[in-house]
Amino acid sequence: MSILKKTATLLIILIITISCKSDDVELPLGDYENGFFIANEGPFSNGTGTLTFIGNDGAIEQDVYQAVNNEVLGNIVQSMTFHNNNAYIVVNNSHKIIVVNRHTMKKITTIEGSNINNPRYFVAVGNTGYVSNWGSTSSSTDDYIAVIDLSTNTVTSTIPVGEGPEDMLVKDNTIYANLQGGFGFNNKIEVIDTDTNTISTTITVGDVPNAILKDNNGAIWVLCSGNPNYATGGETNGKLIKIENNSVTSTLDFGTQKHPSHLTINENNLYYNLGGKVYSMLVSSNQLNTNAIAGFDGFYYTMKAKDGVLYTTNAGDFASEGILKVFNLNTNEYSYSKTTGIVPTAVVFQ
Amino acid sequence: MKYSILLFLTTVFAQAQNDTINLLNEVKLYGNFSPKINAGYHIQIISDSVINNTHQSLGNLLQNKANIYFKQNGNGMVSSISLRGSGASHTGIYWNGITINSSLNGQTDFNTLSANGYNQIEIRKGAGSVLFGSGAIGGAINLRDKIYFINKKEFVSNIGYASYNTQNIFVQTKLNTTKFYSKISFEKIKSENDYPYLNTNLINENGAYKNYHIKGALAYKLNTNNQIQLFTTYSNNERELSRTITAPSNSKYKNEEQRIMLHWKNFGNKYNSSLKLAYLDETYKYYFNKEDIDYSYGESKNYIAKYDFSYFIKNKISIHTGLENKLIKGSGKDITKAKRNIFETYMLIHQQPIKKINYNVSIRKGFSKTYDIPFIYAVDTKYSITSKTAIKANYSTNYKLPTFNDLYWSYSGNEKLLSENSKTLELGFDYQTKNTIINITTYHTNSNNLIQWRPTTNIIWKPINIQKVTSTGVEFVFNTIKKVNKNQFEFSTQYAYTISEDLHKKKQLIYVPYHKANASINYLYKGFGVNINQQYNGAVFTTTSNTQTVEHFWLTNIQISKKIIKNKINIGLVVNNIFNKAYQTVAYRPMPNRNLKLSINIKI
Repeated sequence: MSILKKTATLLIILIITISCKSDDVELPLGDYENGFFIANEGPFSNGTGTLTFIGNDGAIEQDVYQAVNNEVLGNIVQSMTFHNNNAYIVVNNSHKIIVVNRHTMKKITTIEGSNINNPRYFVAVGNTGYVSNWGSTSSSTDDYIAVIDLSTNTVTSTIPVGEGPEDMLVKDNTIYANLQGGFGFNNKIEVIDTDTNTISTTITVGDVPNAILKDNNGAIWVLCSGNPNYATGGETNGKLIKIENNSVTSTLDFGTQKHPSHLTINENNLYYNLGGKVYSMLVSSNQLNTNAIAGFDGFYYTMKAKDGVLYTTNAGDFASEGILKVFNLNTNEYSYSKTTGIVPTAVVFQ
Repeated sequence: MKYSILLFLTTVFAQAQNDTINLLNEVKLYGNFSPKINAGYHIQIISDSVINNTHQSLGNLLQNKANIYFKQNGNGMVSSISLRGSGASHTGIYWNGITINSSLNGQTDFNTLSANGYNQIEIRKGAGSVLFGSGAIGGAINLRDKIYFINKKEFVSNIGYASYNTQNIFVQTKLNTTKFYSKISFEKIKSENDYPYLNTNLINENGAYKNYHIKGALAYKLNTNNQIQLFTTYSNNERELSRTITAPSNSKYKNEEQRIMLHWKNFGNKYNSSLKLAYLDETYKYYFNKEDIDYSYGESKNYIAKYDFSYFIKNKISIHTGLENKLIKGSGKDITKAKRNIFETYMLIHQQPIKKINYNVSIRKGFSKTYDIPFIYAVDTKYSITSKTAIKANYSTNYKLPTFNDLYWSYSGNEKLLSENSKTLELGFDYQTKNTIINITTYHTNSNNLIQWRPTTNIIWKPINIQKVTSTGVEFVFNTIKKVNKNQFEFSTQYAYTISEDLHKKKQLIYVPYHKANASINYLYKGFGVNINQQYNGAVFTTTSNTQTVEHFWLTNIQISKKIIKNKINIGLVVNNIFNKAYQTVAYRPMPNRNLKLSINIKI
């Protein structure tokens, strides 16, 4: 090493040390601070789910959890949620929630046991976590939301709910849990008061509510895909439902044999996937858009809009890596693609 | 004739090993596996001495003796075959000449099919739809009962106890006269199967199984030209479906199979005639949760009438022809009641124009209201260079019809499916002396319209005729026997190199190893025997993009046996996986650690 290099290295070290001491520069919190994750289910029958990280600089890293922790996540990674300094990764078929540091991905603990049975999604209010569980496959009446004390990472109680609790929305200390149906089909939303951890009301929506979100005006939107043709009660239409003050104020019907999915929102525009196309609709509109966005076509496995960008994934043949396809919502143009893990199920932002 | 069946059940034996030398002897074959009408193919026989001496699952037997690759979801769980890089439903499995692949999914589970009690297993690698019908693309395997009209009474029994609380019992009686033949066997295998997963703190939870098999063969010689034969089998299998490294399981699978066949054989100096009437029934129940009262189920019933006729025009020329009608009825929780009828006919001409050349030309055409069955044909030839060496060649077109699941699975089945097609060219070289066999075979197969279940949306998957695959490979066989005084040494090794590529993706198919090999050394001395069996399974891809693999593995098993009391009793000890290696054939599904089996064969 030349003198010049040595001096330069010393200088750099000095600068870093000095900078770190001053208050205007923050220490990096971890390798995964700046960017977003894709949670991959992994192959269905045997194998493990994985996490893909894409940095703000475009750098991509596969199998993040495995690289950091030298162990696999488990079978069917269903969802991943950030809360405070942690990320909660729900592993459906391994019946556990893995808690990691959101910036370093280092494992903190695993929440599992008899009260975590077919877990689906995680949300948190303050220091309490809520996990939707389908319970045993043999019972349609044992579904529940597990209540978790996040300081001890233990299940403190369970709230019995209707069949198939799925995605949940937190709004003003209230949880709205979609009852998608689990192993069957359902059409309700459980409204849970987190002060008492009890169900305050149940709202009937369309069949198979598969996405729930709130807009800037405080209204809740629920996308119901409708029963498929093999449902016992027969096929039903997809519906987009608006809820204000815990009552349905608008129902838009997609018509027969139309089964929309993946509702997401960017500013005042809702986006959803229907029949291999992506549609948008203003939250102020009272009718569905009949024209799809040109160039956005695809049967997506998930869709997530954020800051003028639409992130979509495609699971391909479900037996090899999937694809993340990103579109610009300001210009409605394709932006870029990345390879993900197997069956990319969720896009989660830091 | 004082012996009642009960008495037979209390006495006990196993087939002696003294005829292992038969390995190299010409074995007489009948029906569509006969060497004469398969001149251009290589046919391997596993004799009853080997079958009865090892008492293992049919899958393990074929893996050890015929170098065939199996994909096992853990020990004792579903085991599916892949021959020459083809799919699990692309090998035809036959029971005394009639196909027994499931009508529902086209496959055969080699952990629920028992080889014990059959007289021989006939293995014909390579495509053969013309002689064997739908699905014989990777190969054809026949489980055969042989009938002898000689005066003989025999009682055979095998009792074994093995690791993981595994118990097996097999009893068989034969009562034969010059007019009458009967062979009846009963078998039970039961295991806790709770082996540890090496390098983890998990065990094979929820892996217990219990299988029963009853087999019977009866025959009556009407006169020198006519025989009536009756074959029947019943099996009942109940298995828990074990966990994986990443997920627990509490699923369970039950299946029952019964088959009955009446066979009238009529033959003269110039002809053979064979009429088979058979009824086959398969049912399964799948419990996603074994405590659940709810389960998925399916059933198929096959009614088969098959007539084969061979006529020897001159010594050097013969015609073989046949008709088969098959009515299949399927039903189940997810299969709308459906039935289909298939009528097929084939013809083969064999000729030996000069001593050195044998050849066959054959054609087949089938008819069904459900779909078009293509016209197919094959030619094969054997050219004997010397008395010890020969060149073999064959070219054939083949098909596989869609299964009931493909056609009728509720809301997903596709009734517009076409049959899958393939073409195969094969070249082989044989060297054979009294003590040594060498065989080298190379082949190339083009398959089209292969059916794959693809997601049409994210929820609905449908089967479509889409995949194109080419399979190219080389197979090598070497067997030799040496006798020095009373010491007998046998050495055999087989190797297969297989490229099976999806033409759209330009990638090797998942779960098809490039390399597969085995080697076995057998030493016999005055009733004492040692066998060392070495297996090699090359790495297999688990993703269609060929990015992830299940690692390759070496597996060594050792068997020691000793005959006592005038060779009536044979005591055997087997050590499987003697080096205690962690290995998997399916990702995240570990196979057993080192394990032992002690068995006693008794033959009276």
